[in-house]
Amino acid sequence: MLKRIVITVVVLALVGIGGLFALAWRPSLAPIDPPAASAFPQDLVARGKQLAGAGYCATCHTAKGGQVYAGGFGLESGFGTIYSTNITPDPDTGIGRWSEAAFARAMHDGVARDGAHLFPAFPYTHFAKVSDDDVKALYAYFMTRQPVKAVAPPNTLPFPLSIRALQVGWKLLFFDKGVYQAQAGKSEEWNRGAYLAEGLGHCSACHTPRNGLGGERKDALYAGAPIEGWLAPALNASNPAPLPWTQDDLYAYLRSGASVHHGVAAGSMSEVIQGLAKLPDADVRAIAVYFADRNGSAAQAANADQALARAMALAQRDPGVVPEHGAQVYLSACASCHYNGGAAPLPARPELALSSTVNGPDPGSFIHIVLGGIGQNDGMPGAYMPGFGKSLSDEDIAALAAYLRGSRTMQPPWNDVPAAIAGARKQSPAAP
Amino acid sequence: MTTFNLNGRPLTIDAADDTPLLWVIRDLAGMKGTKFGCGIGMCGACTVHLNGRAVRSCITPLAAVADASIITIEGLDPQGQHPLQKAWIETQTPQCGYCQSGQIMQAATLIKDYPNPTDADIDAVMNGNLCRCMAYVRIRKAIKLAAAEMQGAAAHE
Amino acid sequence: MNKFAKYQDQAVPAGLMSRRGFLIGAAGTGFTLAFAGAGLVLADPATAVAQHAFEPTIWYHIDQDGIVTVNIIRAEMGQHVGTALARIVADELEVKWESVRLDYVDTDPKWGLMVTGGSWSVWQSFPYLSQAGAAGRIALIEEGAKLLRVGKDACVARDGMITAGHKSISYGDIVRKGNLTRSYSADQLKAMPLKKPADRRLIGVPTKAIDIPGKTNGTARYGLDAEVAGMVYARPKLPPTRNGCSVTSIDDSAAKGVKGYIKSVALDDPSGTVPGWVVVYADSFTAANHAADKVKVVWATGEAAKVSEKDILDHGAKLIDDPKGGSLVVADEGVEQAFAAAKTTLERSYTTSTVLHFQLEPVNALAFEKDGIWEIHTGNQWQSLILPTLAKALGVGEDKVVLRTYLLGGGFGRRLNGDYSVPAALASKAIGKPVKLVFTRPDDVHFDSPRSASVQRLRMAFGEGGKVLGMEHHATAGWPTQVMIPVFMPKGKNGEPYDPFSISGADHWYTVGAHRVRAISNDLANNTFRPGWLRSVGPGWTNWALESFMDEAAHAAGIDPVAFRLGLLDAQGKNAGTAPNATGGAARMAHVLKRAAEKAGWGGTLPQDTGIGVATTFGQERDMPTWCACVARVKVDRATGVVKLEKLTLVVDAGTLVHPDGALAQTEGAALWGVSMALHEGTEFVNGQVKDSNLNTYTPLRMRDVPELDIEFVQSTEVPVGLGEPGTTVVGPAIGNAIFAAVGARLRHIPIRPADVLLALKGEPAKGV
Repeated sequence: MLKRIVITVVVLALVGIGGLFALAWRPSLAPIDPPAASAFPQDLVARGKQLAGAGYCATCHTAKGGQVYAGGFGLESGFGTIYSTNITPDPDTGIGRWSEAAFARAMHDGVARDGAHLFPAFPYTHFAKVSDDDVKALYAYFMTRQPVKAVAPPNTLPFPLSIRALQVGWKLLFFDKGVYQAQAGKSEEWNRGAYLAEGLGHCSACHTPRNGLGGERKDALYAGAPIEGWLAPALNASNPAPLPWTQDDLYAYLRSGASVHHGVAAGSMSEVIQGLAKLPDADVRAIAVYFADRNGSAAQAANADQALARAMALAQRDPGVVPEHGAQVYLSACASCHYNGGAAPLPARPELALSSTVNGPDPGSFIHIVLGGIGQNDGMPGAYMPGFGKSLSDEDIAALAAYLRGSRTMQPPWNDVPAAIAGARKQSPAAP
Repeated sequence: MTTFNLNGRPLTIDAADDTPLLWVIRDLAGMKGTKFGCGIGMCGACTVHLNGRAVRSCITPLAAVADASIITIEGLDPQGQHPLQKAWIETQTPQCGYCQSGQIMQAATLIKDYPNPTDADIDAVMNGNLCRCMAYVRIRKAIKLAAAEMQGAAAHE
Repeated sequence: MNKFAKYQDQAVPAGLMSRRGFLIGAAGTGFTLAFAGAGLVLADPATAVAQHAFEPTIWYHIDQDGIVTVNIIRAEMGQHVGTALARIVADELEVKWESVRLDYVDTDPKWGLMVTGGSWSVWQSFPYLSQAGAAGRIALIEEGAKLLRVGKDACVARDGMITAGHKSISYGDIVRKGNLTRSYSADQLKAMPLKKPADRRLIGVPTKAIDIPGKTNGTARYGLDAEVAGMVYARPKLPPTRNGCSVTSIDDSAAKGVKGYIKSVALDDPSGTVPGWVVVYADSFTAANHAADKVKVVWATGEAAKVSEKDILDHGAKLIDDPKGGSLVVADEGVEQAFAAAKTTLERSYTTSTVLHFQLEPVNALAFEKDGIWEIHTGNQWQSLILPTLAKALGVGEDKVVLRTYLLGGGFGRRLNGDYSVPAALASKAIGKPVKLVFTRPDDVHFDSPRSASVQRLRMAFGEGGKVLGMEHHATAGWPTQVMIPVFMPKGKNGEPYDPFSISGADHWYTVGAHRVRAISNDLANNTFRPGWLRSVGPGWTNWALESFMDEAAHAAGIDPVAFRLGLLDAQGKNAGTAPNATGGAARMAHVLKRAAEKAGWGGTLPQDTGIGVATTFGQERDMPTWCACVARVKVDRATGVVKLEKLTLVVDAGTLVHPDGALAQTEGAALWGVSMALHEGTEFVNGQVKDSNLNTYTPLRMRDVPELDIEFVQSTEVPVGLGEPGTTVVGPAIGNAIFAAVGARLRHIPIRPADVLLALKGEPAKGV
């Protein structure tokens, strides 16, 4: 995602829309004296905490092993690294001197207190939809955190990509201002879900493919997209999972990190689940309602039993007396946890024939999970899968991928699996 | 420093994050019942329970088990009288015995998931546990015996 | 007797045999056998020996509570050998089984030859352990009678008590109160009145093995579990090939960043066991592993680095082509005449691939010097073989080295070759600290002494009506005995020495007229790697060839394969068998063959592309025949060449079964090993090293591959013979013959791969490698 944004910036620079500099100017807002924590009502702070979870703020604003919200997390791009900022109320290095108005402008306009344009690595295109009340609550929450003195390392984007003013052009093309407006004809629950998903949740930032300039493609909303070598699966009707993502499945997945009919959250989706954990059931249910409507799963519900039976038949297909190499690997390394007997899978045995990952259009997520496993604090709390990155050779993993894809799904073979494996190994060479 | 719970007792280990749990259990916690076979998670000799489910400890790094509950063969039953252990003796299953801690730990997850395991269930779930003495016939028999005992016990409760 | 006895005479220190003839009475003195070692995890902690114990022979002692501790000199590696041996003693001694304990002893010259292999343990031990038990019983009766003030003829020994009428005294009380000092000569011991088979109370009676409970609760202690205070860990860096490498340079600069890394050292090995080895020391196994991955060693390699599996097989075929080479193991008169006079002849060649031991516990050893004695803590099957090598490597006398005993996480012959203990000892010497050397699985595989690939050529001369006039069997493979202990090699009829373990099986019990067996050492194999003894050794390949060939011969002669074999098992002449070990000879083989065929429904109709095949084996040696027949039922998929093994029926006559359930377990395991080697495993040499290194590509038989097993033993009171191996060798040819019966495809190479079945279906030879 970031790479595309960077490309955008380059393109804009090359076409030389110098006049944009004039449009780019934003005033600096006056610094304030950091307000006392007691200045914020406790219920407001509590609501802000939930909302911060729903926006997974900590994910990007916490460095690996660093203090929460103190920033310094590096988003890698092919051209350089953008480091997240410190959003604790430290007056010198954090947002302690930000007024509520400055905070709201950052959320709604993507502009920092000093008037600088923020890179859309900060998803203000979505946060713009957050209501003023919720922004207020978030502000209250962050301003009552423990201040941490921490300066993020400088971004390593080379000139001219580092020129923030160029961002205004991007904004003109891809940024729709304005808070979320309830859609008529939809239920209050639906609208609540949409508000959370489109706003703080910024779901489409990952799940929608981007155009050449790094903007989300409105014509392919929620069609799924590769992200950092993984695949953020489609959230619309094009999702290839054998069983429809029903409202109940979505709810189970978002609430517990796993859907017995689809799989377990992993990769950056784990952080989404952890963030959503702060939201009440009703909000998570609302998000499920929203996406279940978007993906049209209700229409497929009638065929679900048949689809389940078909998938379980694939799952239980006999690999033969002399299994192919990939099947040998599966039978020796995977089946002890992933096998399911009977007519339906057990929750503790993620069924690969039903897996959105195995059924997905590219092998990225599959390879990442095989290499690095799934931590017990990722998706489903307590559930753990070891990584096989040091155990299996590239040939073993490619054979396994081919076997599972061929035996467990009705999907065509994945392309360029060896290259994807090599890429994933490069991406996280220390996969345990 | 990583803290986790081993056989019901909290344990804090000062070792590199990527130290395999297997060697933490064996060499730092001093519990030798869990064995080293292949080191790549494909023989099952190192199987322990992590939060109640069988995992291969040889490819599980220490950092991954922070705050988790780990049970080894020594902790499966305080008296070593788990129905599986009794069945293993009744059927005289172990030969060299080296794989059997792992077999039993894997079987414990199997019968938790499938209280009445079919041959297909046993084939699939136990296939990852290599027995080089090839005591497979008896492993199968022992699992069925233990499952039957547990079913019987459950019926009488 | 056999080669073993020959070696024993050479190896056992003078005086020991006569010393064994004495009962060393010990009331009031106690003789401690406990292998005390501070801070050590021991094989069996329950070895505390009472101060006042009765130790009638070195094989066991009785304490004042009547507890009998039997000293086990055999490696416990899955065969429950301690249980079997102790029951031999306990039966004659007339004690309750509950009073019996086992002590798996460390090395000591007093034990004589310490080896566990060849399926010999029960067979070899039965006579002297029976005598030892009987001697104790008689001594206890004599002393008991005195204490009870009755005549000894009035006394009966039973369940650890001497009873005379209503009076009785326990063995423990006799030990406490009596004077049990006795001494008997070796001849007296041999003449001990042993119980009649009908009076046996433990031998042949079902029981539970003593070693099993500890293997279900994590308390069993294997070599890997050995520890001593102050030890450091070492991980080897193996040279590219087993032989012919030397270290050119070591660069450990990258390893220095690994926390816990100590240093890397090229080993100086006067014994020549580990040429070109570097060990990497660290304070934990994990650190040693990480560091070893970062240490860069450059080696100078030799010829071996160019050798492939095909080279070894091609070389073998060439060796067979030369009629002058090798050793004549069977050399009947008239072979040439028989073939000259033959109406028809049949000649076939058979090959087998390299096979790994892949015992589940990777080899490892803990070594340190304490008070001038080098202690080696490891699981081992042939202590007497490696002790002199260790002494040479360390530059000390053999009396300065002791091997501490642990359970073995699988033997299968791998630990007959104790070579892995040498680098541990050298590493300890080099750093001056206790060193625990643990091989990773790839290290273990690359340092394995695998079962050599083999090439064999068999010929048969037929007269009228398919009568067999003569037979030749030429076999070549890498010879473990030549490489590791050439003194063990007897001379053939032409004066050339041969590895008995690598040709055994070819000297079969079929009456085939003029018979010639020629054993040829494959020097290219020997020079490339260290060939090993692997479960059943030679019969693993000789019987594949022999029994496949017998099937081909039967078909060539137009005779049913069972009938053909029965016709040759006439138990005449040299095949009549001699007492005590081979009483009945080939007639017993004929019996198990008939019984197996009958059980498996030989001659019945079968579904399409399904067939049954038969094979026999006499186990390991003509001196100790275990009569075994197997029928395999397979279904072959003509389109894919996949062979589904549906069922194995085995009938075994192993004489007296001391521990019947242990006998069954051994036969189950052996048969499945046979399946694994016939259908599932096998590797090949590429550039002087085996190409597989772990389970991602090496695929031994697993749970889902197990066929239905039907195993039956012949009830017998004959001499108990070995059971660890015979089942291994009979399965492969039975499967091959079943494939032929099913679809007419003849397989002449194991492992049998689908591609080879497809070729055979077209009548083409297998690609082999």
